[in-house]
Amino acid sequence: MTRHHPDSLSLMEYSAGNLSEPHALCIKLHLDKCSHCRSRVDTLDSLGAVMMEQQPKVSVSESMFDSILSKIDSEPSGEPAVPAIPRVSALQKLLGEDLNSLPWKRQLGDVSVLDITDRFPGQKEQVVLQKLAAGGKAPAHTHRGEETTIVLQGAFADQKGVFNQWDFVVLTDEDEHKPVAVGCEDCITLSVLSAPVKLTGTFTRMLNPFIR
Amino acid sequence: MTTLDKKPASSEGRKDPWSQMLQKVGKNQDREAYHALFEHFGPQIKYYAMANGLASHAEELVQEVFVSIWRRSCLYDWRKAAASTWIFTIARNQRIDMLRKMQRTSAEMPVETEDLWQIPGENENEPVTSLHRLMSERRIRESLSHLPEEQITVIAKVYMENKSHQMVADELDIPLGTVKSRVRLALNKLKVILQDQNV
Repeated sequence: MTRHHPDSLSLMEYSAGNLSEPHALCIKLHLDKCSHCRSRVDTLDSLGAVMMEQQPKVSVSESMFDSILSKIDSEPSGEPAVPAIPRVSALQKLLGEDLNSLPWKRQLGDVSVLDITDRFPGQKEQVVLQKLAAGGKAPAHTHRGEETTIVLQGAFADQKGVFNQWDFVVLTDEDEHKPVAVGCEDCITLSVLSAPVKLTGTFTRMLNPFIR
Repeated sequence: MTTLDKKPASSEGRKDPWSQMLQKVGKNQDREAYHALFEHFGPQIKYYAMANGLASHAEELVQEVFVSIWRRSCLYDWRKAAASTWIFTIARNQRIDMLRKMQRTSAEMPVETEDLWQIPGENENEPVTSLHRLMSERRIRESLSHLPEEQITVIAKVYMENKSHQMVADELDIPLGTVKSRVRLALNKLKVILQDQNV
């Protein structure tokens, strides 16, 4: 179980570029707001650089350099071009400006869900948004497989603590909890569910950290 | 062409030589510096591509990485990342991007690689810090030489062969828990695991 911040092993897989897109998104959303974890990733990126430096080298030809030069010379200005800034965040690209006005599906009591798995073509995990109405409670439940969750809006609390916006949580089947949305906003989370191998392609019901 | 053996003599100074060269590329479009970077990092990136299962696209990846280095060099800030760290993240992102494009079906990807994997020092409005960042490569290089081989093997597979901890466990035929504890031990030694007390 990981709470509030991703653990070093996940950050290492992120830094190595080995995470699936939905998992990388959860980490990136957290990094955008957490300078502590950003600094951990910087260090891990340096580890990657040192690993690359210590591996064998494969010679490159001078003609390859020439073709690189002709590529950069064919660019409009011939000079380094600053990528357009500001950029829209990944979250806005995926979900637009207003999380509250998404086509939520009311599930049980205070809980609404929206499956956005189809925004990640070719990925194996299920990706789900959940919304727990302000002050609302979700029934007690446990988790199947491993769920990575990041809080996008508002906050929720369970017996282990309070999870605020941009907090990161990994829950497994050993974690039973009974979350409550705290504060005056609806609590919205993004969850990535590692699909149990046996069930690939046969999900019939929503799996999420609020309700199972 | 022979590979350059010279390494940054020391990171003790404020800037290592590669970071100085990268800065010259960014500021003055210095092609001599750019060529020196190519000679030093090109062979590393080519091996990286091959280890990652991109053998038939290795040269293409090296080219993509260097075009990207040229384009972005004006954003490079040596105070935020050493050149080798910055270049590693560009190589990683280009590798991810290449694999995504190969696997892309008719469906478009709504999110770009760069939206998911950050390049250090870009799009950050935070104050420049961190002697820590500059020191870290030297520290890592030094501590790595004291790690047991089995720990280095696991880390190398994760970074160089694009393997998850689970895949490394399967390949080495050892439990996932053993892989994780080797990584944790190594990261502890490398002081990559930062304490949570400041949070």
